[in-house]
Amino acid sequence: MFQWLFKFPRAVFARGELVFLSSWPTWALLLACLVGAAALAAVIIRQLPPGAARAHRARAAVIWLLQSALVSLLLVLLWQPALSVSQLKSQQNIVAFLIDDSRSMRLEDEGASREAEAVATLQGGVLDAVARRFQVRLYRLDQGIARIDGLKELRAEGAATHLSAGLRELAAETAGLPLGAVVLLSDGSDNGTGVDAEALAPLRERHIPVHTVGFGRERARQDVELDDVELGARALADARVAAVVRFHQYGYAGRQTRLSVRDAGKVLASMPVSLEADGTEQSQRVLFDVGAAGVKSLQFALDLLPGEENGSNNALSRLLDVDADQRSVLYVEGEPRWEYKFIRRAADDDRMLRLVSMLRTSENKIYRQNVRDPGELAQGFPTRAPELFAYQGLVIGSVEASYFTPAQQQLIRQFVDRRGGGLLLLGGRYALADGGWGAAGLADLLPTILPDAHDTFHVDPATVELTEVGADSPITRLTDDAASNIQRWKKLPYLMDYQDAGVPKAGASVLANLNADGRQMPLLVTEPYGRGRTAVLATSGTWRWQMSLPLGDPSFDTYWQQLLRWLVTDAHGPVVASVERPEIHDDGHALLAAEVRDADYELVADAAVEAHVLGPNGLAARLPMQPVWDAPGQYLLEWQAPQAGDYLTEVVATRRGQPLGRDVVYFRRLDGVAENFHTEQNRALLERIATLTGGRYWRPRELSRLADEIDLSSAGISARESRELWDMPAVLLLLLGLPMLEWLVRRLWGVV
Amino acid sequence: MKRRRAITVIGLLALSTAVWAQFGGLRSFSTPPITTDVSPTDAKHEFAWSRLRYNAAYGSDYGGYGGYFYGYGGRFSGAWSRDYPKADIVFLAALRRLTRVDARSYQQVVDLDSDDIFNYPFVYAVQVESWTFTEAQAKRLREYLLKGGFLMVDDFHGTVDWEHFLTGLRMVLPAESYPITDLSDDDEIFHVLYDIGHRIQVPGEQYVVTGRTYEKDGYVPKWRAIRDDKGRVIVAICHNMHLGDAWEWADDSEYPEEFASMAFRVGIDYVMYSMTH
Repeated sequence: MFQWLFKFPRAVFARGELVFLSSWPTWALLLACLVGAAALAAVIIRQLPPGAARAHRARAAVIWLLQSALVSLLLVLLWQPALSVSQLKSQQNIVAFLIDDSRSMRLEDEGASREAEAVATLQGGVLDAVARRFQVRLYRLDQGIARIDGLKELRAEGAATHLSAGLRELAAETAGLPLGAVVLLSDGSDNGTGVDAEALAPLRERHIPVHTVGFGRERARQDVELDDVELGARALADARVAAVVRFHQYGYAGRQTRLSVRDAGKVLASMPVSLEADGTEQSQRVLFDVGAAGVKSLQFALDLLPGEENGSNNALSRLLDVDADQRSVLYVEGEPRWEYKFIRRAADDDRMLRLVSMLRTSENKIYRQNVRDPGELAQGFPTRAPELFAYQGLVIGSVEASYFTPAQQQLIRQFVDRRGGGLLLLGGRYALADGGWGAAGLADLLPTILPDAHDTFHVDPATVELTEVGADSPITRLTDDAASNIQRWKKLPYLMDYQDAGVPKAGASVLANLNADGRQMPLLVTEPYGRGRTAVLATSGTWRWQMSLPLGDPSFDTYWQQLLRWLVTDAHGPVVASVERPEIHDDGHALLAAEVRDADYELVADAAVEAHVLGPNGLAARLPMQPVWDAPGQYLLEWQAPQAGDYLTEVVATRRGQPLGRDVVYFRRLDGVAENFHTEQNRALLERIATLTGGRYWRPRELSRLADEIDLSSAGISARESRELWDMPAVLLLLLGLPMLEWLVRRLWGVV
Repeated sequence: MKRRRAITVIGLLALSTAVWAQFGGLRSFSTPPITTDVSPTDAKHEFAWSRLRYNAAYGSDYGGYGGYFYGYGGRFSGAWSRDYPKADIVFLAALRRLTRVDARSYQQVVDLDSDDIFNYPFVYAVQVESWTFTEAQAKRLREYLLKGGFLMVDDFHGTVDWEHFLTGLRMVLPAESYPITDLSDDDEIFHVLYDIGHRIQVPGEQYVVTGRTYEKDGYVPKWRAIRDDKGRVIVAICHNMHLGDAWEWADDSEYPEEFASMAFRVGIDYVMYSMTH
């Protein structure tokens, strides 16, 4: 119908540019139209009787509009309108057909596999129609492209689909050839690095349109698919870790399934999950104990439900490096207190924590506990960075700010800001505002603005309650369920004392409040600071939980172990290595990064950094990492993992032969797994590729017009031609229709 | 008739003994020489010296009250309050003077009939050869110790006292799980604040009269302990010595200073240990 009315297909109008073949200027056309309309208006107004009714004037306006439209149309035709379009020269251009040959194309949607449907579509006249005007090249596409002689060579056995890589390869292979267009037949199930404008740049620069043809259902009928698992790369041994599992489903809304976490077959966690509406992306937090140190390959899985179309997309694995290195916390206490004793006992029960303490027992004596050797802290609080930075966490109890020299205060700041350590200040007679911390140089380090007052510490009972943030915090989590956690905290015995910690700063998180003396005040407040973190706990009376709760109740120990672990977990050594993706799918491309610092935790730009890679089947490689020129202390390595399996990489940094530090990261290459996921047709991706390149997204049944559309391309060898529009049937209809319409309305209104 | 006469004689003897004790006995004082502040403000301190009031093995209740019986005796009546309250008050004065412990200046009496004891993680008991517990009391004391409480026992002497002490103790902590061990010079409990190397027997005030450092057949001082599963001392046992008397009579010119000093240093180290381990 469109082509009948307008003489040319829609694509010609979409790609063409409107031009006027007349030598008269376009502005003259506009002027003529305006003059014509004005003249008609003057004539009509003159014919209107004085004091004509409003309805009369409105009808006259309609008549004027119709006459003006007719005049304007005639004037436009006088200027000879046409469409200027680029058209490929026949038989001088190549059209490349890229056919997705990955395993997802084996999936059957309507009784036939996607691959079979693609082949049938091409053989149903599409290839012949294109071949009549262009040279045709066929390519198989999976992780790259490979030219094929015929469709029979397609096997649908590719372990992955990397659309972006395939299109880049095609652009490179046809760099010197007149490539007029690309036709990509795929389900869009890309598991490479994604497709964006940058990936398509080589084709876009040559104005080569990519026409995409989508195969496969755009949504499954009955399937549960695990989309992603958010899990940190590292954890401390014996930690309770939270992972967020994202998934969606079709066909099972309202049903229940079970989410489980397994380590080498051993179930670490299992919980029921209610499935929401079809297509809704759900997320579920799951908590589990990581257990002993070592690299864990954790499997997150949703139980298979009856009738699922795809049984291979219900599970994902993640690597977790469970760290065995004990973390050291320095606890400085200004007076013997019960809190000190019970904190020590809680830390003693956590083998991952080494709580080293220095306690002022009398005015001139310091009692040290848990020191590694007689020299540790023998001179009191450290005065040099390497001594203090050997710890990952710092707890300051009932100690006046002035107990620390200005240099030591500066060191504490650097400990948090530069070294990335955790600082916890406790309440007490000589703590917080009563200890002069509000006026000290370290006040900005604290997560609260301390009150400008004295006697803020009170040996009076105070009850505690969690905030919403605290209900779900790994520090204050006594039970996994947030609502139960709030109730559990409400039932904790009262604190023996409390302190007014002031007002939380913007950006700080209040995890718990205390109620005392008819007021509510912040009890536990945390805040990130620089590379580290700080916290205030405005009491020294939590020990009462241990003594007052029933024997064996773990609340006190759990709370303190979690708080101390929070202080130190993210305080890394001087060399921190990371890998962009711990699980690399199919392509084997690994991007390793390292941040290198010296003993003072200053960034080192001139280090020699080497990655020692150990892989499957005895693979071993020593690879230098390159410094990033605009980011001092950062080093990168791009590497191709040659085969599927687990890889251990030790990053070693030295400077002028002196060791700076080392770190170990793990990653895994998984081949053929990604292809099981996102198996619905990714139409959005295919449409984006087409839009970005000037092509079009097609359904298979629409492909009969493909050859015509391909014809209109400015890529390859093409010529620009003008297609006149004056003889369009639509124009003739307008020329006849407008006067007839005017006559009709005149008859209707009796104004003939 | 004979029986009634016997009871009358015993009653008169007991009454005269009480009066004798009240007006001096071997030694006594009527007003503690140390000034204490018992105002509500002074109650708000980190540390309170807690004296355990327990049932006497041969009595039906807690027995008498401190200050009535001094020196020998007291085994069958109010044994828990021996040297009370002067010993406690003098010791607290030393603790406040010599350490940074925020201690209340007067003592606290705790018993095992309520959970209030859990607010006082250090507890001191004397003449423990006479103690006994109901099942509920024993359970509460066991839980107290296993949660982190610390018990110091003092002032019992000789073999018979030891056996009686064990009878009560084993109601709380069974022998197979909680053996009693001797403390050595190297034990941390003797080095928290003061390094106590050469330990001497600390006699009670009776030394002034008798010149003996021992009582009954307790010739050798026994510094002993019960530990928890982490090796931390939870019960410190001062057998064949009387630290309480040494604190109480520290200001008596006739009581040797070396005994008082040893008692203070040991007591302070024990308190410090209880607050650090």
